[in-house]
Parts: sequence; structure tokens; C-alpha cells
Amino acid sequence: MSETRTFLLELHCEEVPARFLKPLSEEFAAAIVAAFGVEPEGAYSPRKLSWSCPMPEMQADQTDTQIGPPQRMCVEDGKPTIQGLKFAEKWGVPFSEVRFEQSAGKKEPCAVVTVTKQGRPTKELLAEALPGLIAGLHVPKAMRWGSSDFEFVRPIRSILCLFGEEVVDFTVDGVKSGNTTWGHRLFHRQHSEPIVVKQPEDYEAALAKAGIVVSFVERKASLAKQLDQLASEVKGRVVADEHLLDTLAEIVEVPKIIRGDFPADFLELPAEVLITSLKEHQKAFCIEGPDGKLLPHFLTAANRADDPKGFVKSGNEWVLKARLYDARFFFAEDRKHKLETRLDALKQLTFQRELGSYFDKTERVMALTVRIADLGGLDLSHAQEAARLAKCDLRTLMVGEFPELQGVMGGEYLKHEGAPEPVWKAVKEHYQPAGADDALPETDLGAILSIADKLDTVAGCFSVGLIPSGSKDPLALRRAGQGIVRILWERGWGKHLEASLGIAVDGIGTRAAKPKDETLNALTSFFQDRIAYQLEQAGYAGSVRRAALACGWSDLRDLKARCEALSGFAEDLRFASLAASAKRIGNILKDESPSDAFDQSALQDPSEKTLAAHLAKLEATSDHKTLLAELAELAAPLAAFFDAVMVKADDPKLRAARLSLLHRLRQAFLRVADFSLWQ
Amino acid sequence: MQIQDLILKLQRFWADKGCLIGQPYDLEKGAGTMNPLTFFGALGSKPWNVAYVEPSRRPADGRYGENPFRVYKHLQFQVILKPSPAKVQELYIESLEALGIDLSIHDLRFEEDNWESPTLGAWGVGWQVVLDGMEISQFTYFQQVGGLDCRPVSAELTYGIERICMFLGGLDNIFDLPYGTVKTDAGEHTITYGQMRQREEFELSAYSFEHADLDLHRTLFEAYEKEGKKLLALGHFRGAYEQALKMSHTFNVLDARGAVSTTERPGIIKRVRDLACGCAKAYVEHEEKASTDSTDFTDSKAKQGGGAK
Repeated sequence: MSETRTFLLELHCEEVPARFLKPLSEEFAAAIVAAFGVEPEGAYSPRKLSWSCPMPEMQADQTDTQIGPPQRMCVEDGKPTIQGLKFAEKWGVPFSEVRFEQSAGKKEPCAVVTVTKQGRPTKELLAEALPGLIAGLHVPKAMRWGSSDFEFVRPIRSILCLFGEEVVDFTVDGVKSGNTTWGHRLFHRQHSEPIVVKQPEDYEAALAKAGIVVSFVERKASLAKQLDQLASEVKGRVVADEHLLDTLAEIVEVPKIIRGDFPADFLELPAEVLITSLKEHQKAFCIEGPDGKLLPHFLTAANRADDPKGFVKSGNEWVLKARLYDARFFFAEDRKHKLETRLDALKQLTFQRELGSYFDKTERVMALTVRIADLGGLDLSHAQEAARLAKCDLRTLMVGEFPELQGVMGGEYLKHEGAPEPVWKAVKEHYQPAGADDALPETDLGAILSIADKLDTVAGCFSVGLIPSGSKDPLALRRAGQGIVRILWERGWGKHLEASLGIAVDGIGTRAAKPKDETLNALTSFFQDRIAYQLEQAGYAGSVRRAALACGWSDLRDLKARCEALSGFAEDLRFASLAASAKRIGNILKDESPSDAFDQSALQDPSEKTLAAHLAKLEATSDHKTLLAELAELAAPLAAFFDAVMVKADDPKLRAARLSLLHRLRQAFLRVADFSLWQ
Repeated sequence: MQIQDLILKLQRFWADKGCLIGQPYDLEKGAGTMNPLTFFGALGSKPWNVAYVEPSRRPADGRYGENPFRVYKHLQFQVILKPSPAKVQELYIESLEALGIDLSIHDLRFEEDNWESPTLGAWGVGWQVVLDGMEISQFTYFQQVGGLDCRPVSAELTYGIERICMFLGGLDNIFDLPYGTVKTDAGEHTITYGQMRQREEFELSAYSFEHADLDLHRTLFEAYEKEGKKLLALGHFRGAYEQALKMSHTFNVLDARGAVSTTERPGIIKRVRDLACGCAKAYVEHEEKASTDSTDFTDSKAKQGGGAK
């Protein structure tokens, strides 16, 4: 085992886009693993990507076995032939070291030599490999700069590469590696020379001295702590946003939170508008008071450790005021006209080329919402009104500025107009859930409008052949479908989905490019996948999911009840035996068409008579749990039956009775689960 | 700081760094990039450093002179450095210091912002430069212009003049900005941006939102395209490019009125782009021919050394 030294590489670039830092850091670490078998620890800040880990001084020796020509061609009359000698010469060994062995895959003994390749110094290998590994990084939006054809995420301005105290020498696009790097720009206002890093162990401290915290994790933790503290100083708490926190930690080299204020009269704006405006324009957090209402303060990051003259604070306040001024202007302008006056303008807004405008979509969603609301016995006039107004906010100034406020603004504007509460709430929440982690609509009507809107999108796209496949789902139909299933599942609305599919497809009407049957089939299989995923998310075991789902999902509430009941037996060993029998029944009945009725008196064996008695009990049970308990009891008699009798007996009467018995048993199973898919 | 001071300081700074000081191009345009000093200058292989002010019109941003932050027409200060120097960020920072921005008390960040101009067939990657939370400049490494790869790559720096002035002065209204001082025998007084431009803002906004004859503009668009194609066929890429600029502005007027539907839009943009790309191609062919004819190009490159490094 040779000595180890620490390897350190730092690429000092012009500001790398925040979103690329982590992927690049991880990808390069993986490349080092592939090339050197050790995983480096990555650190990054806007201008730096660095990796470090211990590596052996020397790479291990490698022993290779080389196989040559057959023995008969290498040796003649006990003497080496020319060919034999050439083989030995090729691998640099005397002929005496050549052995003759019959290796796997060879028909006869062949010449064999063992060659030992001495391990090389790691430093040399690093110098050879690194330029290619750096150039080979996959950069999503690569650029060129200056006069070179080299491509990277942003210009590389210096490279620090050490192996212990020695510099690993190489060049990337004219930049030579060395033992120096650059600190924070503010630091270099006083220091014109780059900072020297003597050994990898000094790296983080040297950068810290030069004003940079190079660890993302450290910056993020520090920002989080400062956010909490600065919020509590004004008796509030931060409106949490993990994504925003990550972004802030990725755009600064030194973690510093600045708290600023904005005029309190902007608090008249809806909270969502303030939160979105602060986040999108200023990468700033809002602070909420103990009552959940926003306070007139904000928190954002600065790329320096202090704010000596208060300019960072006042500058951010100035910009924020300008932004909020805009938001207030939009809010006031938008409310000059009632929301419904935008309905006509939806005709000019294309939803999807084949499926028409948002006006066309609105008309379809109205019809669909009313039908689904009818299933749940809701107020139909409210349903119709909510669907009619749902998309109008797409033509407001505020949504034009902040597309993510769609729905929210419609709801807010309707509330201000005095619309009935179920209507404005439904409009406000009908885009929910926007993703796997997003909240579901809280109101019944909101839930129905959300389902109708998404179902129209999915059914519409399927009707014109826009069906997601593989990793391709540009219209996010899977997410929409998943949202529908989640809402139904959580609300226990069992039969809405199956009942609505046909209505939704019919609603597409003459715009459909595919026959209705084909679309319905595709939709059925699409939703089956979504439901399977929902079952997985709900935490059911694989065997439970497969067995339960195979018996259909026309009633989601029943499916849930079956999964619950089955989960209680997941560990029951009798079910394994039952599964084996169920498979056997399936195979036996494959090419048979047994009748439902059978002649009990035809049964002869005691084991089949026992089964018949069980069958009567099973068929009389409606509760899933009781049924499963009885099925568990059935496992042993069923196994005994298969041991005792030949089902396909010669006597046609007996045979028919046995087949029917098995058929009826299976029908009883299938009310809960397809046990042939258990395990 | 007065607007004219800011402009003068930037011009002095970049002239000292080895840039030609160009002038605004006398046609309506949406951004300084459209000036031929940039559009053609960024193409081809010759070194090229230029800086100039460009009044930029965006009809959809018109607010009748009533919005304190947004205007129909604003001033951009544009710098092109080709090839992009290794210390281009430091040069830019130095220019801020030349304006009197003391970075020891401000927060400066370069945040990803990639630029694209579909009408010019141009795109680049870069940042918005953020000072104390406000975007003060756009910084772009051109990757393509007129559909052609930029080799070498130019760095484009664009300063928002009014914004920087407002920010430095802590003003909340663009129209309160001091433009410059007029001195007469009777004394001196400061002219504001509002005195210079507010009425213009009102009239131009009214024109683009209310009075512009849409049929006329549609006709103009067609006519400019026809004229541009005719000129390009003659190999007159500079004349043809002017027609492309006129098409672009005409499109912006129509767009501000909501007269361009979403389906129609990509087609219209493509017609402008096609002409612009044709101009770029003709320009590069022309330059290549000229450089094979002339002998001492490397010589002139050597003499240029020292600038913007």
C-alpha cells in the first residue's frame, strides 16, 4: 500500500449560472470515480467548482495475461519457432517464461505470458486525464469566448490543481494549472496578486481569508440561520421557500442576509402577489407575523459580508418599491373591468393548435364541470359560473407579469367583485395540485373544477394524438393525470373518473383526430398507470398493489378499501399458498369456458366437497376484510384439493363440476384481488 | 449624476480603453444591438471595439409619460469588444468605478441571463449585472449573429443609462432625472429628463396604442420586406439591413396594439430574421473577399494590440 496525498482541483470561472453548479459538481465527481476509483468531495460557489480527496501516490501494479498462438505453432521438435519467439519478444519476456495452457474458449493449448504493468505515479495520470475530463463535462448551455473554439459553461479564468504540495501540470484552453486562485472581488481591491494555496488542506481557509465560503452547504446553513434570526427580530417568521434558499446560496460567494423594509400600504396587495413579486424580481423572502399576515419587511442575500453604508439595504428597498409600484398598478388596472369582460379575449389566446383557444377550452370545461358536479350533487349554477370565469385571468396584466399567479389572481379579482365564495375559491385553487408536493384544492367545487380542467387537457391531447411516451411529456399530461387521481383518491370520490372519461372525450367533439374507442383505450391505460403510482405513493406493498389493481379501478374508493384489507394480510404465509393455487386455477381455466352453475352432487372427493362449502360462505360475504379472512382459511383446503384430485377427470360431468367450482372460487377472489399476481 | 455626465464619462472611459466611439444609427430600433456597428461588427474575424449610445424604442412599454419607471424610449450605452478580452469583467467593473460607483460599499453580482433576439437570428449567454439588487447592465458573449457563429466571440456590455442615473441619485421618477445644465448670459438652469422627453413619451405612446394606422403598418411591413429582398439580391447588405430594421420596428408597433395573433407571430418574426440573416451572410462573404484582396491584415491587428486588454 503506497502513501496517499490529497488531490485538489479548482476551476475558477466567471460566474457560473446557479442552476448548473450542482449538476456540474456531481458529474465531474462521477468522472473522477470512473477514472481513479475514488470519490472526491465537491464544493462550489458562483465562480468556483472544486473537488478534493486523498489518492494513492502510485497507482497499483496491473497484471495482465496475454494469450498468443497455439502451442503447435510456437514449438516444433522441442524448439521455439519464429512465431513463438516473436510472441515472447512482443511482450518483452524471454521465451522460457512462455507457458502453454488451454484457456477458456480455446480449442487447444496456446502460448500464455503474464505481463506486469507497473503502476504509474498518480500525479502523472492526473495531469494526463484532467484536461479531457474537464473538456468532457456535459454543459447544457455551453458557450465559446475570445478567439478559441473551446466550449464550457462560462470562461475558465484560472486553474488550481495540487497533489499534496505539488502542482499537477496541465493546460486547458491556454489556461495553465498552478497553485494560485482568486478570492472575492472585494478582497482583490486591496490585493492585486492571486492567493497562493500551498497544500490542499489550506484551501478552504485560504479562500475564507479572501472572503469566500466555498462550501454550498455551509453557505446555505448560514443563510437559513440569518433568515430566522432577522425575521424574529421583527417578531415574525420567514415564509419558507426551500428553492429560493438554494438559489440564494448558489448566487453568493459569502452568505449574508439583508433585511429591508417596504411601505406598509403595499400590504393591501394579496399576499400571493407580494410573495411572488418579491421572489421573482428580487429573490427576496417575505416575513409573516404571528397572525399569519405579512409584515412590511423582506429578506434577501448580498454577496458581501457587510453593508457598511447601508447602500445594499437602501438599494434593494428602492428596487423593490419600483417593483411593487408596478404590481399595484397592475392590481388597480385589472380591477377597472370585471373579470368576465376578458372572456371574449380568450378567443385570441391559443390553448393548443388542434384544440383551439382558451375560449373553446372554457366552453368544454364548463360542460364537463357541470356533469362532474352533478355526480357529487353540488350547486350546478356555481359550478358553471366558476368554470366560465376560470381562465379569464390569463388576460390580466398581473398574470401577464407573473404567470405563476394564474388562478390565484382570478380568485382574488372575483372576491373583490363580490362573487359567491364557492365560485372565487374554486377559480383560485383550480390549478392545484401543480406538482407532487403541491396542496390539493380545499373546496368541493375547486376540486371538481380542477379535475374537469385537467381532464379536458388530457382527454383533448389524447384525442389529437399527443400522448406521452417514454421520457417525452412536453405538455406535462402525466402530472395533470396524477393530480386528478390524487384529488379523487383523497376525497374518496370513487366512481367519478371512469364516469367522466367518456364525457371528456365526447366534449372534444369534431376536433378529435382519433376514433373515440382508441382514445378511450389509451386513456384507460394511462390512468391505470397513474393509479398504480398513487397506490405506490400511498405506501402499499408491491404484491398488494398488483393484486388489487388487476381487479379494476372503476371504483377508486373500493380499490382503496381492498388495498387496506389486503395490507392486513401482507405477511400472512397462507396467502403465498393461495397465490400458488390461484395461478394454477388460472392455468387450468385458460382454455375452458365453464358455466356458472354446477351440479354439487357430481362432486365426489371430500376435499372438493369442503371447497364447495367454503364457496357458499365466500359468496355470501360482502365485506373485504371478512372475505380475506375466509380466503386465508381456504388456502389449506385448496392445496389439499389439488393434491387429492385430477381436475380434468375423464367423466365429463365430474370434470364440468370441478371446473365450475374453480371458476366460481376465482370469481369470489377477484372481488378483492387477483391472487395470481400476489408476490 | 446628470445623464449627459454619465454618457460623457462612459465614452471617455471606453475611448481610453481602445474603443471607437460610434453614434446612434438614424433609424428606429428596439435595442443597441441592432445598430450595424454591432450587428455587422460582431461578424467576421476582424478585431473590433466600439462604444456608443443608442436610443431604443419599445412601443409596448409606452406609458404616456405617466409611469415613473417605464418608458417608450430609453437610452442604452452599448460596448462591443471583439474578441472578448480575458479581463472583460474587470474592465466592466472599472467602468463602474469610473462612474463614481464605489464598490467597497456596494453589492455587485453577475446573475445568469441569456440574451436572444429572434428577429436578428442572434443569441448569446451572459448575465444581468445586479448592483444592490438592481439590474444595471446586460453582459453577453455573442454566440451567433444573423444565424452565423461568432468567431471570435464578442462581449457586449449594455448599460441602462436612465436606470443607473436614477439609482445613483436615489430618484423615484425617471422624469425628475437631471439631463444637463444650460448656461446662458442670464444664468444657468438644469434641464430635467421630463422637460426633454415627457411630452414625447405621451405622444409616442398615444401613437402606438391609439393612432397608428394598422393597415398602413401591415402594408409598410410588406413593402419593406420587398425592398429589402430587392437590395439583398443586388448584394447591398447594408441597405437591405436598414429595411430589416424598419420591418422590426413596424412589427413592434403592430404587436403593441395586440394586432399580431400568437399563431401569426412566429411567421412574422421569421420574415424579419430571414432578411437579417441574408444580410449577415452577404456581409461575411463580402469581407472574406476583401480580406483576401488586401495583404496586411495581420499587421493592422498587431498595431491594434494594447487596447481593451
